[in-house]
Amino acid sequence: MDSHASAVIFGLDPLWVSSIIFIITYAVIVTEKINRSIVALLGAGLMISMGVLNQQAAINGIDFNTLGLLTGMMVIVAISRRSGVFQFVAVWSAKKVKASPWGILFMLSLVTALFSALLDNVTTVLLIAPVTLLITGELKVHPYPFLFAEIFASNIGGTATLIGDPPNIMIGSAVNLTFNDFLINLAPITLVIFPVTLFIIYLIWGRHMHASDEARERIMQFKERQAITDIPLLKKSLLVISLVIIGFLFAHPLRLEPATIAMIGAALLLLLTSINTAAEEQSEHVHKSFAEVEWVTIFFFVGLFIIVNGIEHAGLLEILANQVLSITGGDFALTAIAIIWVSAIFSAIVDNIPFVATMIPIIKSMAPTFGGADQLMPLWWSLALGACLGGNGSLVGASANLIVAGFAERAGYRIHFLKFMLIAFPLMLVSIVIASIYVYFRYL
Amino acid sequence: MSMDIEKVLIPTIIIRPGMYVRDLFTECGKLHIHALPYCNEKGIISGTVTLKNVMRFSCLPEHMIELASLLGNQMSCVENAEEKAREIICNPIEPYVRKLGKTIPSTEPLIKALALMEKNKSSYIFIVDDGEYKGQITIQGIAQVMSKLDNSCAIPGAE
Repeated sequence: MDSHASAVIFGLDPLWVSSIIFIITYAVIVTEKINRSIVALLGAGLMISMGVLNQQAAINGIDFNTLGLLTGMMVIVAISRRSGVFQFVAVWSAKKVKASPWGILFMLSLVTALFSALLDNVTTVLLIAPVTLLITGELKVHPYPFLFAEIFASNIGGTATLIGDPPNIMIGSAVNLTFNDFLINLAPITLVIFPVTLFIIYLIWGRHMHASDEARERIMQFKERQAITDIPLLKKSLLVISLVIIGFLFAHPLRLEPATIAMIGAALLLLLTSINTAAEEQSEHVHKSFAEVEWVTIFFFVGLFIIVNGIEHAGLLEILANQVLSITGGDFALTAIAIIWVSAIFSAIVDNIPFVATMIPIIKSMAPTFGGADQLMPLWWSLALGACLGGNGSLVGASANLIVAGFAERAGYRIHFLKFMLIAFPLMLVSIVIASIYVYFRYL
Repeated sequence: MSMDIEKVLIPTIIIRPGMYVRDLFTECGKLHIHALPYCNEKGIISGTVTLKNVMRFSCLPEHMIELASLLGNQMSCVENAEEKAREIICNPIEPYVRKLGKTIPSTEPLIKALALMEKNKSSYIFIVDDGEYKGQITIQGIAQVMSKLDNSCAIPGAE
């Protein structure tokens, strides 16, 4: 036990107390009856008040690098999106393929994957889904295949980079992996999974798609420049996003953590967009930008980090890690492949963030078995691939999926859970087979 | 000139069960107001029906609002929305009823009403005395009273 940790009340066994808090908290999160951040914070509060951790030990368990990176990027995206640049690119790309339905599906998926790799998935689909509904409405084609493809594109694109998906941010921070590490190790396989996925979508829906010349002409009449609402903001946003990405690429020689780069980027964009404005206007702008940060997610992370820290200190994760190793017989290759598949199945059914938060210390504790922390890299890539790609398996697999489903439903096109899963789950498994082959041949 | 609520009170009809969207549109259009109170079967003022809410949920899908700057004359979604607007006026009012906002008695100062409107980010407030709806006041009505306050402005260009 950590020297900061206090004794558990009534002299109860910390292992049992922390395990019960952990199981109840995760069970309530899965039911989705109560907001997940409330549940996680209450679970964290119980870990402290029951004496599994004292406050200092709980705070030490919070990964501020993950929180800083998430918050910084959220501020940058919140400001940049007001310029309309993302909608501009989406409409522009649709016109580039002469408004053919399959061409538009391909281009919107590509744009979604690219944006998801550089921003976060939720923001990307929040920006792309409305454009998709508008375009498919004008084309008089059903939006479902387009939205389906975009869900997959967002999760595949998010897999490619450190900042693309929260599991990657968490893994990167826990193991000190750089933006380039993810680019070198995960981006190549997403370049295979993405076209394979789109090819299957083409076989299912794409080859039957048709739109009248009149409908296509309506799309060609779109004036994408009108989507851009603020050109000075657009220039400032593009400048800062470019600098942040350059910062990520050179983070190692610059000796900067990703959170520092994202936070500097956020502060710089706030500064650039506040110059020459009155104090009151500045204050309103900063307030609005901070208000758009997804605090629910940030506090969810805070709660989870404390809960996972509690069970780690109590020794539960070590027991779980030993169980995993006894099942795989301590075989490294089998452990890596098992991590991909278990992560994918779990992430399809439940939120991948708590799963990854739990898996990180479990994998870390396997270091002595496999010859040290440096030998664990294939396991980290397995976790990232499984958790990110697994999100495609069902509508609840990733937050982005639910955002798309919500938009579709409000526009009168309900995406049914089972209908989605019937195609999405096997398609996700295809991506996991590809990922497993990749991990096996590249690292094992 | 004193700033009393009574001076700017706009008496309106009350929307009751069985009425239609057309009734709301007619009254609001005639009096240049944004909303009307809703009275339930028990005769109690229990909700609000606003023009914005009816139009938002009946004619404007979320993605059109998100991409408002892209909309143009030739688009079928614009035509669909116009067609939808024609249909909704015969819709029953009930699905559009929302929670009753803050109300104020007519005996309170007008400035308090203005402060409450500002606090609730609204441009109107319903006046209710002992459960009885008297009418509503709007920010335009308050502006009109303020414009008549005793204070002569300098004429631009005059010495």
